[in-house]
Amino acid sequence: MKNKIFNQAIIITGLLAFALLSLSAVAEMPRFGDPNNPPNLHVVDRYLEKGEEEAGCKNVVTDIILNYRGYDTMGEVTVIFTALCAALAILKRENFYTSFSLLDTSPNKTSIVVRTIIALMFPLIFLFGLYVILHGEDTPGGGFQGGTVIAASLILFILVFGFRYTLNKLSPKFREFFESMAPLSFFLVGSLSLIIGLEFLSYMLPIFSEGYRLEVARLLLSFIEIGIGVGGAAIFTSLFFSMQREEK
Amino acid sequence: MNIFLKLYLNFNYTVSMILFLIGLYTIISKSNLIKKLIGLNIMETSVFLFFISIGAVKGGRAPILEGTASQVQYVNPLPQALILTGIVVAVSTTALALSLIIKIYEHCGTIEAEKLKEMEEGR
Repeated sequence: MKNKIFNQAIIITGLLAFALLSLSAVAEMPRFGDPNNPPNLHVVDRYLEKGEEEAGCKNVVTDIILNYRGYDTMGEVTVIFTALCAALAILKRENFYTSFSLLDTSPNKTSIVVRTIIALMFPLIFLFGLYVILHGEDTPGGGFQGGTVIAASLILFILVFGFRYTLNKLSPKFREFFESMAPLSFFLVGSLSLIIGLEFLSYMLPIFSEGYRLEVARLLLSFIEIGIGVGGAAIFTSLFFSMQREEK
Repeated sequence: MNIFLKLYLNFNYTVSMILFLIGLYTIISKSNLIKKLIGLNIMETSVFLFFISIGAVKGGRAPILEGTASQVQYVNPLPQALILTGIVVAVSTTALALSLIIKIYEHCGTIEAEKLKEMEEGR
């Protein structure tokens, strides 16, 4: 008991010292929201002025993550794919006969109000996710955001209608195809420019004439966006499925 | 200038530092593994808030270009793009940690770090 109080005292003293240091550092930082802050002075003007003609999208964030820093995003997509692989290696895929959610085993089903509302809302949420993916070039949003919305709607469906009912509709074989879509779409587009003789993952292909080049770049970008969105949704749903355990 | 006024002017940075400390305290002092993971997520969120605040501009608009209007002040798009990467990596680490915790619970029957340590010493 005495040892525990001593530990707490050490932790709180250390944290207070850290708080003093970090808060005094934060107070001396450049003012929040100032347009002349150091991070706003360097590469950003180039992105804002030439983003649309160089990368092809009106949404500059999409320009940066898919075009200027495309390698970075490719690595990131590989990271979520690897996380899924590792989680499946630890937990194994869900088994139809041995795993249930609480809903499947409990004698009381979800109330009819919840079921009706979700049955009405689920297609709308799903559609909104698709909209966010497909309009990622010109409006706020993009592949990751839309994929998360779709995954959230699927998880909501599982929570309300039960694990076994959903697993009949979304079998592991069906999901397997979509899970690898995100890295695959990147590699497909990247190798396309390699075949033509450009650097990996360049979107402005010189085999098209000047007028069409930007349109083709936009098409390739939305292809990757769809790949990331659908792939991300499948990965998050599979993670949720594999964490279902048998109730004891 | 008074330090409290300075902290108030940099309100977002101050709040993100406080969140960071809350997360750090949770990680160090709690014994439950899931609580530790929640603390880690709070710390990650504070870093995201800090980064996004660095790129903010007072009165700036979302960085979606609109025709020829060059007079419009946009916020800095670079931190937003970088943090999008960070969020996805945070989700991946959380998923992996949760699956490890599930496996620990199945194997040892507890997720209290102190009890796990006792079990390891007793072996």
